[in-house]
Amino acid sequence: MEFKKVVGDRRTIRYYDPSRPVEPEKVQVMLEAANRSSRAVNADFVKAIVCFRDELSEDVRQRLKTPTTTVQLDLAPVVIFWYGDLTFASGAQQRLKELVDLGALPVTHGWSHAYVDDVAYAQVVEPMSKDQLASTWAVSVECGLAIAQAMLAGVDEGLGVGLHAFESTAAKEVLGIPDHWLPMWILLVGYPAEDPKGGGQRPRRPLADNFYEGRYGQPWQEIPEVTERLKREGMIQEPMDAERRLAEVSKLADRFGLPT
Amino acid sequence: MHDISSAESVRHWLERAGHHDAPPEVQQHRLTVLAEFCRQFGRDPDELVAYCFLRKRDSGQRFCSVKRREEINRALDAFAAEQGWTGKEAVVNANIVRSYLIHNGVPIQGSVWTGS
Repeated sequence: MEFKKVVGDRRTIRYYDPSRPVEPEKVQVMLEAANRSSRAVNADFVKAIVCFRDELSEDVRQRLKTPTTTVQLDLAPVVIFWYGDLTFASGAQQRLKELVDLGALPVTHGWSHAYVDDVAYAQVVEPMSKDQLASTWAVSVECGLAIAQAMLAGVDEGLGVGLHAFESTAAKEVLGIPDHWLPMWILLVGYPAEDPKGGGQRPRRPLADNFYEGRYGQPWQEIPEVTERLKREGMIQEPMDAERRLAEVSKLADRFGLPT
Repeated sequence: MHDISSAESVRHWLERAGHHDAPPEVQQHRLTVLAEFCRQFGRDPDELVAYCFLRKRDSGQRFCSVKRREEINRALDAFAAEQGWTGKEAVVNANIVRSYLIHNGVPIQGSVWTGS
């Protein structure tokens, strides 16, 4: 699928076809997309546990549920638990030097082994890794980049995806999560039981509300031709139609016996 | 059976969910299920909603209790079993009570019918 259409097609899918399994091959594509994400100090910030719903014991499934996650966990055939690794600084010196040797961190930009040892690692990466706020920020941002790529790869593979919070205490216990992994999100994966377009794109504010040029307060001026091109290419799509969506929700509720 | 339809929370539920548009027998069934569950749980509908909320000791701020919602989910499972409901009927009827709670501000999920 064309990249702009993938971005435009992504929705938070809330109803999955529970009886249509997700191919492990497609999950691997998603994991590789996460693995290819941009990352500071070439560190492996992001970690994930892939759980195929039908391979989890009934006891484990029950323990992962909360009063607000039950429906999703019952419907989605795959749940990916995403974590951030707080030990990201471990091995950072070696990885940075490897990038220097490969020319990814080039001498033209001031990189050298000495700079890695004396400045980049000693004065930036290591202190940051020991500062709880700074390391939580770094891990969260880096994980977000990776998770976003995995989501988009899933859409590209024809899957539905949706990020949700989860009960991290129970998950830590049942999944054997180490203490230095910080819980991020769960990503539900499956074939949508709903319209994959979810009734249209969710409301978004104009670019000028959030993006600026040159300085704060000077809104980005939209170029109408670009906006029109993005509509043709599928990044910008029809907005949600509430009446149509609510009718679909009602049908889905009837199919799955859910409250209305 | 005690008439619950005049309770404020019940009227709010029926209005917000659009249940007034349903056939009379469907409306009556929903009210009967809710009333019977409330009777079994030992609380009237307004009290059932209130039971889901607690206040933080330090700030007094109201919050929706996970443990109490889990307790209600367990009670709903037991209620459905006692009524002899199975399959989709059990799921749908238990979710009538959850619908009532949701429309009164209690986020709660329970069973999903995934069979054919």
